[in-house]
Amino acid sequence: MVNLNAVLLISFLLFSIGIAGVLIRRNALVILMCVELMLNAANLNFIAFARHSGSVSGQAFALLVMGFAAAEVAVGLALVVALYRKRDTVQVDDINLLKG
Amino acid sequence: MEHLLATIGRNMFAIFGVLALCGAAFMVAAKSAVHSVLGFLFTMLCIAGCFLALEAEFLGMAQILVYAGGIVVLFLFVVMLVELSKYKEKAIFQLQTRSAVIAVLIGAVAFLVAFRDIFFGNASSEALVLRPELAKGLNVAAENAQAVSRGLFSDYLLPFEILSVILLVALVGAVVLAKTERV
Repeated sequence: MVNLNAVLLISFLLFSIGIAGVLIRRNALVILMCVELMLNAANLNFIAFARHSGSVSGQAFALLVMGFAAAEVAVGLALVVALYRKRDTVQVDDINLLKG
Repeated sequence: MEHLLATIGRNMFAIFGVLALCGAAFMVAAKSAVHSVLGFLFTMLCIAGCFLALEAEFLGMAQILVYAGGIVVLFLFVVMLVELSKYKEKAIFQLQTRSAVIAVLIGAVAFLVAFRDIFFGNASSEALVLRPELAKGLNVAAENAQAVSRGLFSDYLLPFEILSVILLVALVGAVVLAKTERV
């Protein structure tokens, strides 16, 4: 028997850790991983509410989110590789191309 | 022994959830990017366990396949490709770490204060139960996959097709972004 509030609490904490990682880490790869973590926390909510309401919509939508996350990771990692080619770094502090 | 196993079975979600939190914290705090990827892998596997505990068997398996099988390998490839040890890392964390941590703490405290009654009041003892008339379709592993596919290919057919186009665009975009200039 799973308590809905326990699911929501754990999902909230996972999302917070993801946001904290995006805010405080400098490595672009780790920032991408933290974005994935946030998407997974949202997925956990979808599935918890799907179970709560007995409807399958939440699970179907979580699957769509998963595919979207995969697409996002592919583009994000391609950006990181292109950035590494151009600037020789993956530290977000060193990326100031737009500043001129 | 049987009693212990029964207890573990009942609290499967809490166990996997706490493990996922530990993995996520390790992922954020790890100094080396490879360690971060390993923490990410562990977190994703624990979240798959959470999905299984919530009787979303198909999604749990899809989570393991997509994340542990695909995304983590992709991350590892890129981590090894960009050769992180080449430059000297001044610090792991950004300059605004202190203000970010303070902001996150304030947000967490505000959240807990606002939702204290829901989490720790009377309502928190209300269990998460399936609607009896729909419980059958979500219960068994095979029927779970059937139910998900039925939802996906009837009510959510348009988002599903749009997602396939998005994946195609991402594929082409990744190739264009990552290819070398001289081609």
